[in-house]
Amino acid sequence: MVNLAQKDISHSLGKFLVTAMGVGMLLGIVLIMIGVYRGMIVDAKVLLGDIDADLWIVQENTLGPFAEASRIHQDLKDTIRVIDGVAKAEAMTFQNIQLPKSPKPIRVVAVGFDPNGDINPINPDRIVQGRGINHSHYEIVVSDNTGFLLNDIIHLGRDDYKVVGITHGSVSSGGDPLVYISLKDAQTLQFSYTNTRIRNDRERGIKSVNTPMVNAIVAKVKTGYSVDKVAQDIRRFKYKSVYTREGQKEILTKNLIEKSSKQIGLFTAILVVVSTIIIALIIYTMTLEKMKEIAILKLLGIPNSMIIKMIVQETLVLGFLAFIFGNMFSHFIYDKFPKRVVLEAPDALMLFVVIILASIFASFVGVKKVINADPATAIGG
Amino acid sequence: MGEQSIKVENLVKRFGKGDSLVNVIDGASFSIDKGELVALIAPSGAGKTTLLMMIGCVEEPTSGTIYLGNEKVYENRWLTKETRKIRREKIGFIFQAHYLIPFLTVLENVTLVSQANGMSKKESEMIAMELLEYFDIADKANAMSSQLSGGQNQRVAIARALANKPEIILADEPTAALDSARSIAVVEMLKKIAVDQNVAIIMVTHDEAMYPLCDRILKIENKKVISSEI
Repeated sequence: MVNLAQKDISHSLGKFLVTAMGVGMLLGIVLIMIGVYRGMIVDAKVLLGDIDADLWIVQENTLGPFAEASRIHQDLKDTIRVIDGVAKAEAMTFQNIQLPKSPKPIRVVAVGFDPNGDINPINPDRIVQGRGINHSHYEIVVSDNTGFLLNDIIHLGRDDYKVVGITHGSVSSGGDPLVYISLKDAQTLQFSYTNTRIRNDRERGIKSVNTPMVNAIVAKVKTGYSVDKVAQDIRRFKYKSVYTREGQKEILTKNLIEKSSKQIGLFTAILVVVSTIIIALIIYTMTLEKMKEIAILKLLGIPNSMIIKMIVQETLVLGFLAFIFGNMFSHFIYDKFPKRVVLEAPDALMLFVVIILASIFASFVGVKKVINADPATAIGG
Repeated sequence: MGEQSIKVENLVKRFGKGDSLVNVIDGASFSIDKGELVALIAPSGAGKTTLLMMIGCVEEPTSGTIYLGNEKVYENRWLTKETRKIRREKIGFIFQAHYLIPFLTVLENVTLVSQANGMSKKESEMIAMELLEYFDIADKANAMSSQLSGGQNQRVAIARALANKPEIILADEPTAALDSARSIAVVEMLKKIAVDQNVAIIMVTHDEAMYPLCDRILKIENKKVISSEI
C-alpha cells in the first residue's frame, strides 16, 4: 500500500525540513530553558558539595549565608568542636566582591577559610592550574571563567593578592564564579573599617571594635553519631540556627531558586504551547495546500482513514524531526550561555513525549479539515 | 439490447430553500447499458456535472432512484453509508484536467484505488502496467505527473479510472483541454474501452465533433434528460 505521507514528504522534502528546523529551533529553546533550570540546581550544589559539611551553624533565626546576612563569632568553632559527636568544625565567610578587571569588574563570591584548618572548600579535582591556598595572607584562587591567569595580581581593599590557583566549574548558587581567599583576608575585606570610618565613629563616641566575625561555622559529624541529634544539641545549647546538608540544600534549591524555577517552568510551558500552536498551524496550512488532492482522493473513493493517516503521520514526522533538530540546536548553543546550562536525557525524553502528544493534538485541525472536505470540490477550478 | 449498467428514475435535484430554491434536475429518467459510450450535453449551468456527481454518489439527489448495475443505491436517500466504497469499486472518474496526485508517480497514481480496494501491490501494479502499456505510456511509470505532457497525463488519468475495473466511467469534459486531434483520439480510446471492457461511459462534452463517436446522446432540456440516437 502506498504510504501517502512518505510520498508527500519526499515530494517537498526541502520545504518540510526547513519547517521542521524552524519548529526545532523553538524546541531547542525549550530544552535550553529546562537546561538553565537544571544548571541553577547544579550551581546551587557546587559549593555545598565541595565543602562537604554535615552541619551549617549560622546566626540564630537566619537561613544562613546563602539566603540572608549571618554573623557569628569566629571562636564559636572552638565551642562547636568540643560538642559530643562533632569531628571537625571550621569558620567560613561568604561575600560578594567585585574583582577589578578591564573593561568592567567581575562579580564573584569570595569564600574565606582557614588554609590550615580541617575543612577546605576547594575541591582539589577542580584545580586545573597552580595550587590551593597555603598562606594566611594575600593569596587567591580564582575560577577560570574570571579570566585571570596564574600569578596575576588582583588589588582588593587595601591589599594585592596573587593568583596561586585556577579552578574550573566553581560557581556560587547564583552562578557567579567562586574565588577563595584566607579567612583572615576575607575578614579584613568584609569586616574591617576604613581609617576614615574609625575616625568618624570616634567623633560620634562609638568605640570601634574589630571582633573576629564569620558568616558560618561548618562541621563534620563523627561516624556513628546522628547528624540530626548533634544539630539538635547545638541548637539547644548554643542558640544558633543549625542546618544539615539536606536542609541547606533545600534552602538553596527550593527557597532561593523557587521563583526562578517557577518563572522558567511557566516560560517553558508557554513555549511548548506556542510550539503546539505553530505545529498545528503548519499542519493546517499543509492540509489546506493539499485540499484539492484530498478532495480528489475522496472523490476516487479513498477511505478517510488513509487520508487521515497521511495527515497524522506527517504531523508526527514533523514533530520528530523538529525534536531532533531542537536537540542538535540546543547542544550546539548551550555552552555559549554565560551561566551553566545542563542538558539531560530525561528532560529531552519528556519533551519528546510532550511534543509527540502535542503533534497528535495539532494534527486534529488537519484531520477535521479532511473529514469536512467535500469531494465535489475536486471538480472544476 | 445490452445489460443495463445505469438506471435513473425521476431524479430530482434542488438547491436552496424558499425564494432561493433552484430546480436543477427535475424528474430525469434514463438508462445506459454496458459497453455504451453516451455523450451528455447541455448548455453551461444546466446541471450536467451535478447529474454526473449524483450518479457518481458524490452529490446527494433530492429524490428519485439510481441503480448502478443491479444494485439500487439511491431511493429518496442513500441506501448505503458506504457511497465512497461504491465509487471506489464500481466507478471510474475522468475529469477535464487530469487531477493526478502530484506527489505520486504515474504507477502509484494508477494503483492507488485498486490498492485501497484491497488488491495486492503486485497484482495492482501488474494491472496498472498493462493499462499503461495499452495507453503507450509504460515507460513513464516511475515519472511524476509534472514530468509528463498534458496528453500523457490525461492518458494516465484514464488508466487510473480503469485500474479498479469499474462498471461505469464518468467523464466530465475529458477533451476540453485538448486540441481536436487529441480529443478525437481520447474519445475513440473511450469508445474502445467501453467495448473492450464492457463498461458504460457517460461523457460530458460541448464538442459537437465528438457526438458521432458516441453511441447515444443524452441532452438536458427543461431540467429533464432526453435521449437521442446519433
